[in-house]
Amino acid sequence: MRLLQAIGSVFLNFLTSTGRLALFTGLSVSHIVRPPFYPRLLLRQIIDIGYYSLPVVGLTAVFTGMVLALQSYSGFARFNAESAIATVVVLSITRELAPVLAGLMVAGRIGAAMAAEIGTMRVTEQIDALSTLSTNPYKYLVAPRLLAGFIMLPCCVLVADIIGVFGGYLISVHKLGFNPAVYLKNTWQFLEVIDVVSGLVKAGVFGFLIALMGCYHGYHSRGGAQGVGSATTNAVVSASILILASNYLITEAFFAQ
Amino acid sequence: MSAAPIKIAIRGLTKSFGEKHILRALDLDVRAGESLVVIGASGTGKSVLLKNIVGILTPDSGSIKIDGEEVVGVTGHARDRVNRKLGMLFQGAALFDSLPLWENVAFSLMSAHRIGRPEARKVAMECLKQVGLQKENAGRFPADISVGAQKRVGLARAIASEPEILFFDEPTTGIDPVMGDVIDGLIVKCVKELGATALTITHDMESARRIGDRVAMIYEGKIVWVGDVDRIDSSDNEYVDQFINGSIDGPMSALIAGNEGR
Repeated sequence: MRLLQAIGSVFLNFLTSTGRLALFTGLSVSHIVRPPFYPRLLLRQIIDIGYYSLPVVGLTAVFTGMVLALQSYSGFARFNAESAIATVVVLSITRELAPVLAGLMVAGRIGAAMAAEIGTMRVTEQIDALSTLSTNPYKYLVAPRLLAGFIMLPCCVLVADIIGVFGGYLISVHKLGFNPAVYLKNTWQFLEVIDVVSGLVKAGVFGFLIALMGCYHGYHSRGGAQGVGSATTNAVVSASILILASNYLITEAFFAQ
Repeated sequence: MSAAPIKIAIRGLTKSFGEKHILRALDLDVRAGESLVVIGASGTGKSVLLKNIVGILTPDSGSIKIDGEEVVGVTGHARDRVNRKLGMLFQGAALFDSLPLWENVAFSLMSAHRIGRPEARKVAMECLKQVGLQKENAGRFPADISVGAQKRVGLARAIASEPEILFFDEPTTGIDPVMGDVIDGLIVKCVKELGATALTITHDMESARRIGDRVAMIYEGKIVWVGDVDRIDSSDNEYVDQFINGSIDGPMSALIAGNEGR
């Protein structure tokens, strides 16, 4: 009987959380399109999420491209398929690795920061103060972050695509002795628009999810420093899981035969 | 005074958190232009009462009317319109960390009243001056100033949009008695200059005597006594007597024991 109670309780908690998240999402998205708008806040978030994430995203991309070239070479050399390395690098980077790794890195950087900032505002009554100053917290705090996440992660991923491919080029040409012109020709030859577009669509979804999780967990944090800490952890973990799960769904939508 | 119309009318206000009943059919009137202070021990529902009035919390049942208009259940633009009449000083000031002091003060002017930055800045500087802060401080951030100065900025923010009703949540908590006296003086001055209605919650009796025209005592989610501030020492109410004398023995002993046990 106790086991059934425990299962029921977990199930009810899950339904409650899902419903609360759905309401939060709906309300936040509705405030993105309804005036008044806060362009100054949106610009600040765009700079925070996009510009300041570039170093970490760029570093991740360049090393990923380099490792991918090395690994592909050691594997493909076994059956004389070294010429496919450029194609493997560019397709892996644009379709999967750049959006997913950039998403995970930004989830750690931005999702945590959003949860901590909004969580601190919650426990120090700053969000309550917003309400008393006739300012909707969803419109002021959440909407600019969601929009900035949705816009800026694709921009970061586009940069990561270029840097990642460049990382593969560096290793292939300078370490593995590939001809630069042939490598570049192979890179372009089999690359299609859908490869890049699917990665950018993923990035848009991931950016939205990262901001959503950061804002949601921060907004509902309780109980001082410990509550803010939990909110930060939950924001990063839930964003990472959602990135991986939605990555599969988007890949299925784009590429399943 | 008694002829003044009722600015805030609260009837049968009830609020619970799970099994814990905080407000139990509370009734209270605040007259236009008066300064009413709600006193009571910690955990008796003072803050919850205030948060229900300003719309941060939603009551389980009951009615709150401001200028005769029901505000319970009012949301969106209608609530914003009501909130434009209100100003509030929070217990911890609740200043926005990411904004300099002048932007904190000018926040509602720019955000809710859509006044341009230069004009809003001018008003903010005037409000900061009113609460005794030099203009050199206007560009500093909340983390760079003392708790007492934060309360002053919080007060400046509360009065910036010239609200009709001001709420003060434990205005002297966490600051030394001298600064408490200064804050109380500023509150009295600002309320008088604005001609506003004020509702303060506190457990600091010195502060209550300085700020209030009338005092209401809250205990276990109900108002157990209301009267003019100069009648408080002769109230003949056992709750008020125990509270103002700070005595352990009295009808609130059970609550004190309960609070200690938490």
